[in-house]
Amino acid sequence: MDNHEENEHENESKMDRRDFAKTLSLSALLPAGLAGGAAATAAAPLTVNAQAARAAVGAAAGRGEVPEFAGNLLDSDMQGLGPDGKPTGQKATFTGASRANIEAEAASQHEMKVSDEEKAIMEGSKGEEMAKLMKILVKFGNTFGAEKLVDLGGAPHSNLYPGAPYLGSLIKMLDECAKAGLKSYAPYTVNPRPYDCWNVQNNPAEMKIVYEGYPLQKELDWVHTRLGAPELTKRSCACYVKEVGNHPDPGTYVAWAESSAVNYGNSVLGIRTNRTGAGMDLISALTGKAPFFGLMTDEGRQAKWLIDVKTSKTPDWGVLGTAVGRKVVEDVPLYTGIAQYFEGGEVTEDNLHLLKAMGSASAASGSVGLYHVEDLTPEGKEKGRDLLAEGYQTYVYDDAEEQKIIATFDNLWPEKDGDPTGAFIGCPHNTFFEMKRWGKMVTEALEKAGKEEAAIPVYMFCADVVRVRLLEEEGELAGKMRTAGMVATPMCGVTWAGTKGFSDRVRGVTNSAKTRNYSTIRYFPDQTLIDIIVSGKMPG
Amino acid sequence: MAKTFKGRVILSGKHSGEALVSKLPFNLTGSYFENMFAGNTETAPCTDANNKALFGKDMKGAIMCTSQCVGSTMGAGALMGVSELGVGLKAFLFSNHIDSISAGGLIIDDIWYGRRVITIDLLGDEFLEAVNTGDPISIEEDGTVTVG
Repeated sequence: MDNHEENEHENESKMDRRDFAKTLSLSALLPAGLAGGAAATAAAPLTVNAQAARAAVGAAAGRGEVPEFAGNLLDSDMQGLGPDGKPTGQKATFTGASRANIEAEAASQHEMKVSDEEKAIMEGSKGEEMAKLMKILVKFGNTFGAEKLVDLGGAPHSNLYPGAPYLGSLIKMLDECAKAGLKSYAPYTVNPRPYDCWNVQNNPAEMKIVYEGYPLQKELDWVHTRLGAPELTKRSCACYVKEVGNHPDPGTYVAWAESSAVNYGNSVLGIRTNRTGAGMDLISALTGKAPFFGLMTDEGRQAKWLIDVKTSKTPDWGVLGTAVGRKVVEDVPLYTGIAQYFEGGEVTEDNLHLLKAMGSASAASGSVGLYHVEDLTPEGKEKGRDLLAEGYQTYVYDDAEEQKIIATFDNLWPEKDGDPTGAFIGCPHNTFFEMKRWGKMVTEALEKAGKEEAAIPVYMFCADVVRVRLLEEEGELAGKMRTAGMVATPMCGVTWAGTKGFSDRVRGVTNSAKTRNYSTIRYFPDQTLIDIIVSGKMPG
Repeated sequence: MAKTFKGRVILSGKHSGEALVSKLPFNLTGSYFENMFAGNTETAPCTDANNKALFGKDMKGAIMCTSQCVGSTMGAGALMGVSELGVGLKAFLFSNHIDSISAGGLIIDDIWYGRRVITIDLLGDEFLEAVNTGDPISIEEDGTVTVG
């Protein structure tokens, strides 16, 4: 984040606003259906993008057919259905902090403290747009029992990444904020874009899906640029890796969105954020404030579950996370028994991917926004079992439990006995260490088998700045990886995996329990994946 | 026989009509594909095939009764989108605590665009057990909901 120069950023934005005004009418930000419906107000000629948006939905108004690409889009993070397809009966608020036991009367009486400055802002001291944003924050905070608004530090992270038509209204609001000159309190990071036409969707059939499915991508990217996230090379869900550089100090209040980043940030970095949804993340970024409740508070960070890991060898991190997410839903767990798998009891660049895999799985199968690990994570080291809340429950995870969870991972391929067609590695995005590790594992296995090229393409998802570091520091390996058919791409892998038209064609395999949770892609341990990648065949 | 429930008012309003009930959690993004991706501005047929009781039913202007919302964390945008299309809900009644995603979308839409969906939560499990699709339902400004 330190290479953002505030003045330069300011000047760029001023220039950009002028250029933007020349080329884009407000109607261009509307989804196609909106342009022909009740909201159709713009008389100005549509830009190419707006026309594309209309074309994407087939008709300007009235009834239409759901295009094929929309039939299998992701329903991430908050399923409400268990692995058996039945309701889980959860009463999660999806903030990451349960309020299941609150009653209507008590909730109705709650009103947060609002400072004189915040009141003045709500009355318009900083303009009409900021007044509305502050009112939204206060109303939202009161809904979740917030005590007050707190000033945010570090840098925001936003999950608002796809330029899909249904997000037009939200994008339009943010465009109005940008036009009013509002900016994030600090330069921020954003989730990866949903496609990559250079390295992945570089064929007419998939480009058609991409351009029809995300007609507002340019508008969304441009909004982010003006509000404070201009660097496409740093687009990543793993915003906390060194190369992307969004890793605030422990204890810093932020309002991050993206389930895996929130989970990692709260747990491993020790920052304090709730699981913020798209829209609210940027409202907090623009006001520099967030409602203080849930995972931001000491009480909300207490563990209601003790996860006692007793496997006979290193657990499968994705399976462990999946199990815990299903068990605790959105409560905070304290793990014991896993610090031994981290050399010296420290989280480093070379092992953080293990916690990334475990945490993101629990954020996907449940909505875990924070976990502690005894003797490893900041609060786990400092407070240990004092983190356990009164009346906590215990979940023992052993070899038998691991096998039980794996047995629920059904084969969801359309042709169940078909050969694999692609490997999806890195969701959340790969770290630099993972890129090297997978590069070596695959190329060495190919060499051993007397092959130069993998039997199936291997997509390696990472921030562009991580790919560039690999080229700079491990040029020879990067060359071998390319020859082997390993494709580094900065796009969001799970979006690709979950989109019909892509996923139907690809009988994918992955090392990501998160990807498995949201798509038909099948999950396997690393060595099994290597065998599949080399042979192009499924194991026995 | 009519039953009365008292919830917490998030976005107030007075309204009466027929209930549309989802005993399953309501999937925000999965339910509006025909509006969000096919440009339907006349009706809002539920497109969530997992929700068999609601699938295909027109949700435009409905009084939706459910436990809570699930689905993508982009769901706030979906709620704002259908609202802008003119096919959003008239009222949203939750038996549980409202989830953060729908709360965000409903509050942003109300304050930024002045488009209100009457929203009441914490009506209790009994509310969802008592109410069925087609039941007459009335909502008062103070969060009182009468079914039947």
